[in-house]
Amino acid sequence: MSSTTKLSPAAESHLPGEAGVWMFIIGDMLMFSLLFSVFVYYRADDVALFASSQQALNQTYGLFNTILMLTSSWFVALAIHAQRHQLAHLTTRFLIGAVLCGLGFIVVKVFEYGEKFAADLTIVTNDFFMYYYLLTGIHLLHVVIGIIVLLYLCTVSRGPELSQGDVNMLESGASFWHMVDMLWIVLFALLYLMR
Amino acid sequence: MNTRAQLVCAWCAIAFAVIFTIGLWPLAGMMPPIAPSLTEAELADFYASNTLSIRFGVLVMMSSIGLMLPLVAVIAVQMKRIEGEHSVLTYGQISSGSLNALIFVVATTCWTVAAFRPDRDPQLVMLLNDFGWIVFLMTFTTFITQNFCIGFCVLSDKREEPIFPRWFGFYNFWVAVSFIPGGLLTFFKTGPFAWNGLFVWWIPFLMFFGWYIVTFVMVRKAVIRQSEESDGLAATA
Amino acid sequence: MRTLLLNRISIVWVLLILATALSWQFGHGLGFGDAYQYATSAILVITFVKVRFVFLDFMEVRRAPLPLRVAFEAWAVVACGVLIFLYWSGL
Repeated sequence: MSSTTKLSPAAESHLPGEAGVWMFIIGDMLMFSLLFSVFVYYRADDVALFASSQQALNQTYGLFNTILMLTSSWFVALAIHAQRHQLAHLTTRFLIGAVLCGLGFIVVKVFEYGEKFAADLTIVTNDFFMYYYLLTGIHLLHVVIGIIVLLYLCTVSRGPELSQGDVNMLESGASFWHMVDMLWIVLFALLYLMR
Repeated sequence: MNTRAQLVCAWCAIAFAVIFTIGLWPLAGMMPPIAPSLTEAELADFYASNTLSIRFGVLVMMSSIGLMLPLVAVIAVQMKRIEGEHSVLTYGQISSGSLNALIFVVATTCWTVAAFRPDRDPQLVMLLNDFGWIVFLMTFTTFITQNFCIGFCVLSDKREEPIFPRWFGFYNFWVAVSFIPGGLLTFFKTGPFAWNGLFVWWIPFLMFFGWYIVTFVMVRKAVIRQSEESDGLAATA
Repeated sequence: MRTLLLNRISIVWVLLILATALSWQFGHGLGFGDAYQYATSAILVITFVKVRFVFLDFMEVRRAPLPLRVAFEAWAVVACGVLIFLYWSGL
């Protein structure tokens, strides 16, 4: 299956991974689009408060995390690409790179939360910080789950010969990680950049 | 074969969803939920002026909760077919699914205790009301344990024609994820994360009863296929 | 290794980083002066253009069956539109 799609990439449509994973991804995206909308809706209610609270965020952390997330997603895409071109040893290395970027994301987030706590900015400070902690917290939960998935994919990809099931697993996990990346792209704009 | 008993157990899911919703919505008048932002006086007035309908509605809700358990049992029977002898996920599903019923019993008991003597000190009415709603909506953990047990079990099915379709496994993960924001109600009295808000009430409520309907359909199909397979075996034997 | 890195995926990654830098600059007054509401709208549009490229090239939705592609593109367009609408409703 994978070898035929490799030979004629444009000829036929190909769903990476398995259909059930895509159902989960779409469901999760719907949930997050509601969270995004609720955030902007309540922001519109009290623009002054949200804008002034936003000043307390360190945008550099947000930017740094965005770059980590994009790079991590790029590594995962390269891992899948390498696997299709019979370079399985590189697949594992790219996946490890993605995991390291993901861990870096968590480290930055821990520093960021720590700084906010030190400045006495918590989930009960005001509506802006409530959404800040909820949105980044729920996203962080996805990052943690995603890293566990990626570590599992590392062990799968090290096998000498990948079965169709293994390839499916790789593609499914990769799609989930890209979704986590995509959600952060939106969160970065909403929480850090929007004025 | 106990096909008929299994099917009855599956139908209990629908009976539970329908009867519980009738008790909650038109009878007890708790749809939308009693707002956590109400003052003691408003809350005491709600219980005092709707005493009879709350007592009757909660009685109906409580009677329906037992119907959650036969569904847990029939899911377990079908999961056991997937797992075979060392069916750890099946046991996980049985224990967490059974506890879900207990959580609902505790919640409804709190409401009915509040309505039992509505002339109590309003503070005590508020305490019981808070206790009921928080037990009802914040305790997502056993629910997601059940969902994850079912999900992983469905995905571990290696047979050619799986007992449950694989998407049903991922569907369970999705439902589990949608319950998690319920834990946040402890921080809020208003807004989308309060216990009458979008992410704690409306989405989990729809997902919960949606899950009962989808699971009923899946389990029913699995039971019917199982009985056809055993009929086929009997015919060839 | 070089052919592995010089492919569409890598070009998309470079574009995503550049788009991030551009929206960062829009968030700091580039091009829009004091008209921050236009800057924010531009940031949101760029964000969802980025999202679309993650969908199409990282998640390979470009090659996926048509209904899935339609669903993802529609999600990006609708989400972007709703967020911009809600944003302007508060001004």
